[in-house]
Amino acid sequence: MAAQQLPVLYNELVRAFEARPSDLQKCGKLLAQLKVALIETGLLFPQGDHKLEDLVAARDILEIGAFWSIRTKDVPSFDRYFSQLQTFYNDYSSVLPPSKREYPLRGLNLIRLLIQNRIADFHITLESLPLPADELASNPYISHPVHLEQWLMEGSYSKVWNAREEAPAEEYKFFVDSLMGTIRNEIASCEETAYETLPLKDAATLLFFKSQSDLLAFAKERGWQVNLTAGTVTFAHKGEEKLEIPKEKLIMNDLHYARELEQIV
Amino acid sequence: MADVEMKPADDKAKKEETKNAEKNKPEPPTPVAEIKSNAALIEKAVANIEPRFMHRVLRSLAALRKRLNDKVLYDAVNEIFPKGAYAYPRVRECNNHLFVDSAAKASLLSWLPDASSEDQSMEIDSADVAPAKAPSAEPVPEVEVYLRLLVLHHLLTSKDTYGKALQLAQETVQKIHALNRRSMDPIAAKVWFAVMRAYELGGELSDARPLFLAAQRTASLRHDDETQAALINQLLRSYLNYSLYDQADKLVSKTKFPVSAANPQYTRYHYYLGRIRAVQLNYTDAHNNLLNAIRRAPPPKTAPGFYQAVHKLCVVVELLMGDIPERSTFRHPVLEKALRGYFDIVQAVRAGSLSQFQATLSRHAATFEADKTYTLIVRLRQNVIKTGIRRLSLSYSRISLRDICVKLHLDSEEDAEYIVGKAIRDGVIEGRIVHEKGWMECGGQKSGYGPEVSEMFARRIGYCLELHNESVKVSFCVTACFVCTAHWCVLGYAVSSQCASQGAGCCGSAREREKELAKEIQEGELDDEDAMGGDF
Repeated sequence: MAAQQLPVLYNELVRAFEARPSDLQKCGKLLAQLKVALIETGLLFPQGDHKLEDLVAARDILEIGAFWSIRTKDVPSFDRYFSQLQTFYNDYSSVLPPSKREYPLRGLNLIRLLIQNRIADFHITLESLPLPADELASNPYISHPVHLEQWLMEGSYSKVWNAREEAPAEEYKFFVDSLMGTIRNEIASCEETAYETLPLKDAATLLFFKSQSDLLAFAKERGWQVNLTAGTVTFAHKGEEKLEIPKEKLIMNDLHYARELEQIV
Repeated sequence: MADVEMKPADDKAKKEETKNAEKNKPEPPTPVAEIKSNAALIEKAVANIEPRFMHRVLRSLAALRKRLNDKVLYDAVNEIFPKGAYAYPRVRECNNHLFVDSAAKASLLSWLPDASSEDQSMEIDSADVAPAKAPSAEPVPEVEVYLRLLVLHHLLTSKDTYGKALQLAQETVQKIHALNRRSMDPIAAKVWFAVMRAYELGGELSDARPLFLAAQRTASLRHDDETQAALINQLLRSYLNYSLYDQADKLVSKTKFPVSAANPQYTRYHYYLGRIRAVQLNYTDAHNNLLNAIRRAPPPKTAPGFYQAVHKLCVVVELLMGDIPERSTFRHPVLEKALRGYFDIVQAVRAGSLSQFQATLSRHAATFEADKTYTLIVRLRQNVIKTGIRRLSLSYSRISLRDICVKLHLDSEEDAEYIVGKAIRDGVIEGRIVHEKGWMECGGQKSGYGPEVSEMFARRIGYCLELHNESVKVSFCVTACFVCTAHWCVLGYAVSSQCASQGAGCCGSAREREKELAKEIQEGELDDEDAMGGDF
């Protein structure tokens, strides 16, 4: 039953997805049905030989699912779809025709890792991309997250801010908000140590806040002292750390050395 | 009592052996003769359940491999297998063996071209090789697998025979599997390496992965440490070849590398582990592993490829850790040329100049890409900036953001402010930004006497102690080995401590033997290292 139903549902899904604006609710329902159908035909985790068009259809369904999860802002679901797609991208890469949605999705996955601050995973994923290094820079979908990571690491936050409008695909913008949240927290922690006081106006520009009320709310959240009359923010400084000798640790070390020396002599 | 009786016999054999070795020293034995003596050693190893002889044979593999050709192999097979093998197969307890043995010679010969006719080879044989008594019995299966290994290595030397090598590899693996003999393990480990090379050169390395995984499982169930170590390394190599760092990491975390593995296997394992950890941004672990790999690696002259590959990676990892590699590394004769590009990168990082770094990166991009270090080096950008800021903070007590921007070739003042802020937060520099005036004030340097000094010392002392303990362990092993190989010396003088004081002469000869052994080990270590070298 599932085998005949699959093409019908698939066509319906493609139509629902490509309609402008796409019918997200309908897509969701169709995807749930399609996934059951895929499992029944053994295409969700394909093993052995399948017909080429079946594999392509399965890949398309999962790709649409991944995009759909981003549009409904469901990141864990995107994660699941993407790991299911791995089989198609890696193991069947020699059989299947390349998909035009592959790199946008890989790029999205990279941004997701970046936002979740999983830098190690980000780099592992980047290393395992089947692209030569110079193409990393020329592929717009991949170079976007690569640049973002570089700027984040070196601290060029204004570049990240400016790049938010230059997203290579519609879906990338869904991540912008959480990315900005990440950046703001980073900047705030830098400001806390790097400045003693800051004028309110400058603090707002540094943190990319448009209105003062947003800034005040943010300052309250982080426990900054705001002096409204003078128009400054003062950062609570942890007093000079007291220099304390870690006695216990030193004693432990010394005993350890004594024991080792005993063994050597 | 039996023990004591055995020793004199063994003693005699040893003396003969050393005598032979001395006699042979002026002119090395022909490859055929060497293969034959190796076959005899393998027989002995199997008969006495003494893997030492087997290792001896395998150590000579690297040197022997370079001297192989069709004729040598053809002759060797003909001489080792008895003439009448087809007609009168010796009756064995096991039917299976009977079949294997009688077919063995034919199947081995089928892999070699029939260019040299038998008559010719016989003539040359009699001239070259001292007349040996004709072997009367079928050789043990280990000998056959050893010969297969030699043939396999020979087939891998030329492009035209890669396909054949692949077939032979598959057949040999099946054979080893069917025989399932523990005495075969050391050879099997070597065979697996050759199998991997066959797949790599003749086809797709990824095709072999299921085979390797299955074999690894079997080997670990049978506690076959040598094969297991070899297989883990080959799997890692195959994963890293396709940049599958995720899978490689999972393999490492799910398997336990056998402690008793041979040194070359350990060296490789450390190198692969270093690569994985470097990609995962775990630079301290990566650095430790790479240092271990360098320490265990064979001398640079004999395996330059491996030595260079490890050093390349090590230099990059050191830079990523914020250290500057030692200058002497780049002056090493083996490394000087290979590390040219890396040297330029180090200079750029040291100077903290972004423009120089970018220029060097684009100039050597092809080299870095070939070495698979490109993405790692791109990560260095932030280190360059950090070094630059640090230099500025050391030389100025107050500097405007505008000047920082100009000096570090940053794009805008705004960027400079964020970057300096981040550097202060990350503890790269001590200082404050005064936003209204647009400058950075650099704080005084920390005094050099704090708890972190003792921490640093504790780390170094810990390292030294570990090194000492490790070397004590190693020297203990060497002594144990020495006692074992030189027990004829002990026999004469009852107790080893007395031997040390009394038998200076006796120990002298033993020491010579020891030296010889050490040299052999060293030579044997490179076995497949040089084969690896080219592909890094």
